Amino acid sequence: MTSTRLSRDTRASRGASPWRAIAIVLLTISTFVPFVILVVQSSGESWRWPSLMPDALTLVAWRGVAGGAIGRAAFTSTLLALATAITAVCIALPIGRSLAQLRGASRHVAAALVFLPVAAPPIALGAGLQIATLWLGVGGTAAGVWLAHSVPAIGYVALLFLGVFSSRGAEYSEAARSHGATRWQTWRFVLLPSLRGPIVEALAIAFLISWAQVALTLVVGGGAVRALPIEVLSLVRAGQDREAAVGALLLIVPAVAALAALRVGVRRTDALPG
Amino acid sequence: MHRRSPLPLLLAALVALPVLFGVAYAALAVLGLTGAGATGKLDWTRATALLTDRTTWRSVSWSLYVATVSTAIATAAAAAVALLFPRQMRTDRIARSLATLPLPVPHLVAAATALMVLGQSGLLARLLFFAGVISEPGAMPPLVYDRAGVALIVALAWKELPFLAVVGIAMRAGVSRDLEDAARTLGATPAYVARRVVWPLLWRGLLPAVIATFIFAFGSFESAVLLAPVDPAPLPVLTMERFADPSLARRGEAYGLALIALVVGAFAVAVHEWTRARWGALVK
Repeated sequence: MTSTRLSRDTRASRGASPWRAIAIVLLTISTFVPFVILVVQSSGESWRWPSLMPDALTLVAWRGVAGGAIGRAAFTSTLLALATAITAVCIALPIGRSLAQLRGASRHVAAALVFLPVAAPPIALGAGLQIATLWLGVGGTAAGVWLAHSVPAIGYVALLFLGVFSSRGAEYSEAARSHGATRWQTWRFVLLPSLRGPIVEALAIAFLISWAQVALTLVVGGGAVRALPIEVLSLVRAGQDREAAVGALLLIVPAVAALAALRVGVRRTDALPG
Repeated sequence: MHRRSPLPLLLAALVALPVLFGVAYAALAVLGLTGAGATGKLDWTRATALLTDRTTWRSVSWSLYVATVSTAIATAAAAAVALLFPRQMRTDRIARSLATLPLPVPHLVAAATALMVLGQSGLLARLLFFAGVISEPGAMPPLVYDRAGVALIVALAWKELPFLAVVGIAMRAGVSRDLEDAARTLGATPAYVARRVVWPLLWRGLLPAVIATFIFAFGSFESAVLLAPVDPAPLPVLTMERFADPSLARRGEAYGLALIALVVGAFAVAVHEWTRARWGALVK
């Protein structure tokens, strides 16, 4: 049976091989060309038409990061993203667990409600959040932007924990409770240790949601909160391609690191398929 | 016996509260009851002006067009990756990794890079110059800020592909080999099995993710503001312009536009949940 399957696989593979070859070439170009362009652009002295490469290479834009606007914006973004990630996980974890108890139509209604802040276009979501943060006295401040970023992040992470708790039963926590563990002890010694992987994943996702936010930061921050994406957007619109490319690469680095952390977190747990 | 408590639904409503608040505020602002330029009395003038303005519907339909085309391209590419590279061979694993690698790249970076590649003097124009196709940047067909939205569609599709590929690959791996073997034993060709066994399960599994990416493409501000034309302006850009308008009456219109975007989003959420409820068990 196995050898028959293998020979079928080989035949099928041979039949599709031109398409597979074309697909691999296209995937390689589409994956790597944008990164190469950004790296070259960020270190090009001047890149005149129609040259395919800059006249000379320089690290001047990279040297300016530490004390410049890009460095400050990266620091602001890091603080915002960390605060958003921690807030989102602390709020969404118990919500996801609670929603996993629902069955039937009420489960679909609850999932749709939680999905709303995720699906709402950011500008539209920002319209309401701008008013709410102004009422709270934090409009145009980093605290207001942190609250605004937390809204979609909580939605995403609650959906993630809804999935996690739906795929596992409540047997362990019920067993702990029946052996006399308090509610706190059940959380501390049973639930949290078994959720290490999903928590790392949730932190990474919430971090990235805040890290890449443009519209919510602009609407709620009113241009006063200079997070990294806002700085990059300004640089691109001003035609400062070299500095914009540096900012864009800085935007990618934590995103890739978060994805790597996510993969490690997932690998270390049996909770989710790797 | 399952304990029925209203708490979970209340918590879910709490998560959605900022959106519900936004909807309520936007509705009141459009009716002139609150916000910039409001008289405090029920006034349909602003809502009527917005709904009868050709600019509004051109903007909505252009945003729907861009989101539809980019999502269709990304879906086709993701399905191709899932169908062409399903095995545990090295080539298949490399192809799957290539497709999913740009997953964490922000929309803004994708749009900025599209500008550098597809702009009038971008990399593509330079390559065409060396190939002898064009002689100056002006001869390059406009792909950025153009009404067809080529660069915007390419940037959105590039950004959507990794997520759809992740879902498609997981769905393809979940299709039982027994089903395929049964079809092959009954004389079906590999192409027939792909078309009649794998594909029906794959598209049903992909549908919720497709709807989600469509919503993100529809609402993406940063890609649109960098790559879209001024006329017709995409809905997120038009909304932001109205927010910043010196005229208070026009600023109020921004809430009406936000409301239209939220209605589209809510409709997509309903379809998303419906597809999950209908086919979720089938493709699990």
